[in-house]
Amino acid sequence: MPVTFHIPGALRQFTDGRRTVQLENSPKLVAEALSALYTLHPGVRDRIITEQGQIRDHINIFVGDENIRYTGGLATPIPPNSEISIVPAVSGG
Amino acid sequence: MIGQVLGHYRVTAKIGEGGMGVVYRAFDETLHRDVALKVVKKDARPDAQANQNLLHEARASSSLSHPNICTIYEVAETEGELYIVMELVEGKTLRAMTGTVGLPPESVLRYGTQIAAALARAHDKGIVHRDLKSANIVVNSSGLVKVLDFGLAKRAGGAILEGPTQSFVSTQDVSTISGTLHYMAPEILRGEPADNRSDLWALGIVLYEAAAGQLPFVGRTGFELSSSIMREIPKPLGPPVPPGLWAVIQRCLSKEPADRYQRASEIQAALEAVQWGAVVSANPGADQGGVRTMVLHGVKHARVKRGDFLLLVGTTKGAFILRSTAQRSRWEVGGPYFHGHSVYAMAYDCRAGRRRIWASTQNYWGTLLRFSDDFGKSWTNPQESPIRFPSDTGVSLKNIWQITLGRSEEPDVLYCGVEPAALFESRDAGETWSLVRGLFDHPHRPRWMPGNGGLALHTIVLDPSDNQRMYIAISSGGVYRTNDGGQTWTAQNRGIRAMFLPNKNPEFGQCIHKIAMHPAHPERLFLQNHWGLYRSDDYGENWKDIANGVPSDFGFAIVVHPRNPEWVYIIPVESDEFRCSCDGRLRVYRTRNGGASWEPLARGLPQKLAYETVLRDALTTDSFDPAGIYFGTRSGQLFGSRDEGRTWQKILDGLPSIACVRTACVVEASSDAAATPPQAPPMDFSRGKSRTSRSKSRQTTKRR
Repeated sequence: MPVTFHIPGALRQFTDGRRTVQLENSPKLVAEALSALYTLHPGVRDRIITEQGQIRDHINIFVGDENIRYTGGLATPIPPNSEISIVPAVSGG
Repeated sequence: MIGQVLGHYRVTAKIGEGGMGVVYRAFDETLHRDVALKVVKKDARPDAQANQNLLHEARASSSLSHPNICTIYEVAETEGELYIVMELVEGKTLRAMTGTVGLPPESVLRYGTQIAAALARAHDKGIVHRDLKSANIVVNSSGLVKVLDFGLAKRAGGAILEGPTQSFVSTQDVSTISGTLHYMAPEILRGEPADNRSDLWALGIVLYEAAAGQLPFVGRTGFELSSSIMREIPKPLGPPVPPGLWAVIQRCLSKEPADRYQRASEIQAALEAVQWGAVVSANPGADQGGVRTMVLHGVKHARVKRGDFLLLVGTTKGAFILRSTAQRSRWEVGGPYFHGHSVYAMAYDCRAGRRRIWASTQNYWGTLLRFSDDFGKSWTNPQESPIRFPSDTGVSLKNIWQITLGRSEEPDVLYCGVEPAALFESRDAGETWSLVRGLFDHPHRPRWMPGNGGLALHTIVLDPSDNQRMYIAISSGGVYRTNDGGQTWTAQNRGIRAMFLPNKNPEFGQCIHKIAMHPAHPERLFLQNHWGLYRSDDYGENWKDIANGVPSDFGFAIVVHPRNPEWVYIIPVESDEFRCSCDGRLRVYRTRNGGASWEPLARGLPQKLAYETVLRDALTTDSFDPAGIYFGTRSGQLFGSRDEGRTWQKILDGLPSIACVRTACVVEASSDAAATPPQAPPMDFSRGKSRTSRSKSRQTTKRR
């Protein structure tokens, strides 16, 4: 079952302009899905996570409507046909 | 020997032979596995002491456990035969794989990172290889590298022993000398002891050989070869070898150990960084997508030409490039570059013929160091941040606070001060970066505390007279100095107060805001503290208070006049609670006597309801005569003085909050520009301008 990433505007320079990226395989966890995304589009990796592999402070990842910060982080399971959104947090001044 | 049993090893076949001994395939009849068994020749251990040394070394090396190191299982002696039992590695030596044309760069990088990883582990355990060479490196069918013979080349009985061969530095025909001499570092040829860095030299030779298919140093005799190693520069490697790989090799092959990488882990990181770059450039789709370079559309660019003067302004919402002529009176504004990113650090690098603007950018997608070689029309946009903390640190980059160019005689050296407090160094013009471990591993580091702006290493001051000495400042950590090129650091805060701590005079932990040095007086430093204005006349050993007559000794920025070492500029603010100009009057203070007294400079600056803050990097000078002084405020106003601070003009307002201001003179990108800093305008123009400025300043003085 494919999983679809929604790519925010700031990262489309690294996805050949694509707004969505569909994974052919069926990752079970968010970490696996992100790894697959990084393999397809390496430039997004450093924008989403730090060099230590943690999701950046002001970046949120949603599986469907759920922020993974509250559902197990990178170990959050992905139901079939999920849509994963990468969204910068509402912050700053 | 075939068919014989040594201990519980039955010798089954001969694998090879070298100066040290013969290597056999054997079967371990106890553990039922194949092993390699090296029977050490008797002339490789001429006496009992040599025997003991070899045993000791082999036992030490047997403690090494790493996927890229051939494991030594046992060292034993049976019936007078000394033998070393080790993991049987099946594959080809790197020497055999390389041939005469070299390997593809991707393979060189893939194998190189593994060799560097092996060296890093061994060096951490205090074991130097001493005989690293392509014949001692085996690659198996899966591409896994195994480095053989760790620590077995220890001097024994005065002779240099090494893996399968044995060599002496001699003047005999080079064909009779083993390959080992080709990998020998200059310091060993000089008779100095080998250390970790001698292995890093050898790694440089291995990488060169693997990339080019030939050795960098050759000679018909041992004497010629030794001479070449000690004096000659290797022939540069061009495409398909990526510039980053060539830069790594060059640094490994620095004649002086101090100029090389100091740790194998740095080489590993550098090769990994190049590996990434190589993969990117090998993917045409990525380049077509403009991933490596970002061209900004819809942004106004300043039309910069030779002889122009630039102000580089970093703000919390982007960067601006202001262009003017040497008159510095009318300004064309380029930007904003990096909409919405904080730009805390900028720099202009005109060394080695470059015309490169550096900028650090930070937003919620991370922090990047970028550069533009066309005055802002396009900027690098690396897929992977070149400045990154190694995984073993557990630390992530938050911001880059400072970009400092190396000394003029080191045109490819750059430093970055970052948050959380750490120093990064590049020796290849910013292509690859490594964490300065000597500072990062300092025992004080766990007790540094973040200030209001975070735990930042924001100031880097290089001693122009001593390429081993430099200073850094951390909020809140204090001033640290190295006298050995960054390997070791000492806190230099004697006399500097820390008003926010119970102990007001701690060894470290002060919240330093900025330090400044005049190149003509490297022993003298000026310091703006979080409460306190100081001067040191002894390389930071002791600091004395010089807040003589300033309205507040709280402030952020401090700069020294470009020519007169006695002249220093500061912009005091009222207090740490109310970080605004004192009494709502925006005034720069200047000393012309090294801090014995200070005078306010206010002409042209707002003196009513001007509650302004000037941050630590938002005050700077140019190199003209008379000197220009420039500063930007948190409210987005940019001021400049063309007469050393006597009178001021507002250059621009309405900018986002200004974090840094830097100046640049654009000279022709030629070899002449390489050795010289930004130039003052031609003399006739300068004289004319000087007269104008001086006559204006006399009038000003009279009116006062």
